[in-house]
Amino acid sequence: MVQGHERADCLIEVHNLTKRFGQKVAVDDLSFEVQPGAVTGFLGPNGAGKTTTLRLILGLAHPDKGTATINGTPYQRLRAPMREVGALLDAKAYHPGRKARNHLLALAQAGHIPRRRVDEVLGFVGLADVAGRKAGTFSLGMAQRLGIAAALLGDPGVLLFDEPVNGLDPEGILWVRTLMQSLAAQGRTVFVSSHLMSEMALTASHVILIGRGHLIADSSVEDLVKRSSGSFVRLRTPNDDLVAPRLVAAGANVQADGDGALMVSGLDQSAIGDIVFQAGVPVHELSLQEASLEEAFMELTRDDVEFHARHQPVAQAGAPQ
Amino acid sequence: MTQVAQAMTAPLPVAGRGPEFSDTVRSEWTKMRTLRSTPITLAVTAFIVIGLSALITLAVVANQNRPETSARRNPLSIIQSGWGLGSLAFEVLGVLMVTNEYSSGLIAETLLATPRRLRVLLAKVSVFVVLVFVVAEVMSFINFFVGHAIISAYAPFPNVALSDHNVLRAVIGNGILAVLVGLIGLSLGAILRHTAGAITASVAVLFVLPLVLMALPTSWEQPVEEYWPTQAGSQLEEVTRQAHALTAWWGTGDLALFVLVLLVIAGYALVKRDA
Repeated sequence: MVQGHERADCLIEVHNLTKRFGQKVAVDDLSFEVQPGAVTGFLGPNGAGKTTTLRLILGLAHPDKGTATINGTPYQRLRAPMREVGALLDAKAYHPGRKARNHLLALAQAGHIPRRRVDEVLGFVGLADVAGRKAGTFSLGMAQRLGIAAALLGDPGVLLFDEPVNGLDPEGILWVRTLMQSLAAQGRTVFVSSHLMSEMALTASHVILIGRGHLIADSSVEDLVKRSSGSFVRLRTPNDDLVAPRLVAAGANVQADGDGALMVSGLDQSAIGDIVFQAGVPVHELSLQEASLEEAFMELTRDDVEFHARHQPVAQAGAPQ
Repeated sequence: MTQVAQAMTAPLPVAGRGPEFSDTVRSEWTKMRTLRSTPITLAVTAFIVIGLSALITLAVVANQNRPETSARRNPLSIIQSGWGLGSLAFEVLGVLMVTNEYSSGLIAETLLATPRRLRVLLAKVSVFVVLVFVVAEVMSFINFFVGHAIISAYAPFPNVALSDHNVLRAVIGNGILAVLVGLIGLSLGAILRHTAGAITASVAVLFVLPLVLMALPTSWEQPVEEYWPTQAGSQLEEVTRQAHALTAWWGTGDLALFVLVLLVIAGYALVKRDA
């Protein structure tokens, strides 16, 4: 693709973006920027408004308020949109009766992109052998690859992927992860939505977290973990009753983890180690447990999940009102 | 990583220009020709229309001495009797050209490649008009010569020649009507975005509403018969002017105006609504 291309300006800017569907506010006064040269995760529980935001950025939906621009221009006004932006929204956005190559050819022609590029991207995503097959016969994994091929047709500096690893096998997931990282390493802007924190922990260096349409966090992955309060030290000794009172006296919060160990917070590892040594108790484990990104995510979005499971007694649920 | 790196070594030349209307038309033509359903639909339509016309022509001329057929002596309208069904087929083709994209989700890709939505609609209309006009004209002339040959074999039933008054206009008119009626389907497809709904609406415009309206009192029935777009437009197929009917070209204009209004609504809906 393009080497030495100036990609420094490839950014996505969203200002006060708002979108309502009837009474429901899908995107609520959302503002953020996505910078080039990194994979930025776009996270939120299902129904948080991620897809709607992406559709607003891409001009497929009209905002009620606010703006979304790519390199300073709204998508609809880009001169050659496919060469600036590539997007994978719905993997199966093709006619099932059309051959994969013809599907890409029609898109390439619409974007004034040379025909040979179609076979290049097909080879690149590993679909060269099945290019003559009807796209309707493709598995979900192949469909994702075809969607990615379409996004890469114009060799764009800005890429948006909506849940690109959904339904992929482990090999496919690894491939998408590697691809996104290498695209970012080339200086492109890569914006990837997911409802799976664990996936973003492996791929993204920066995350934009939304819940119920509004911004919860816009930070690096490390900062997000630090922000969450879930870190503690796991202490395993044969004599908890000797150690615990001393730790509490030193200002720590001590809880049993139910597995024979203590969860200690409020003191760091060395302070805890010193106290245990003074108590003359052998140490079996003394380890720092950092909250995973997953836990940080759960904690930050707890109030912003649209649908909570309801815990109702079964008998009551069936009872007459 | 190596796979990725390799692909990046084939640089895409810098765009000389952004995509233009001709690129959108080329893309729409590729979409049209790369679906096997397009030639199949057109071939089946041609077979049914020409076959039905031939069958009816044969039935009428073979029984020409019976009293119930003796009244039907307009040879051209007998020859073209399969075209009512043909109109429906072209309408459906127009509907599918748009609703296919909504049912598959392809519309999103289409609008990402060409965010100027009116350009997409105009490109679809262009491809549809040219394709249907060419196919329908070829069909119409084949249909005419088949019917003409059948009637010739059953003299003394009155026959028509292309050189007769208004006959060539009527035969060519079939192709024009197919295009206009097909565009009703295309517009309704863009407005309703669902295949079943748009086909139902198309059938309503073509067959059901005229029948319903004709059940009205006579004072209402005549203007409806005269101005209802598909009724008015069908005058183009007639050699002689009917009672309570516009002339061929005024009638065609009436239909064309109706199509234009539908296309404007379709364009407005496409631009204003979320895709």
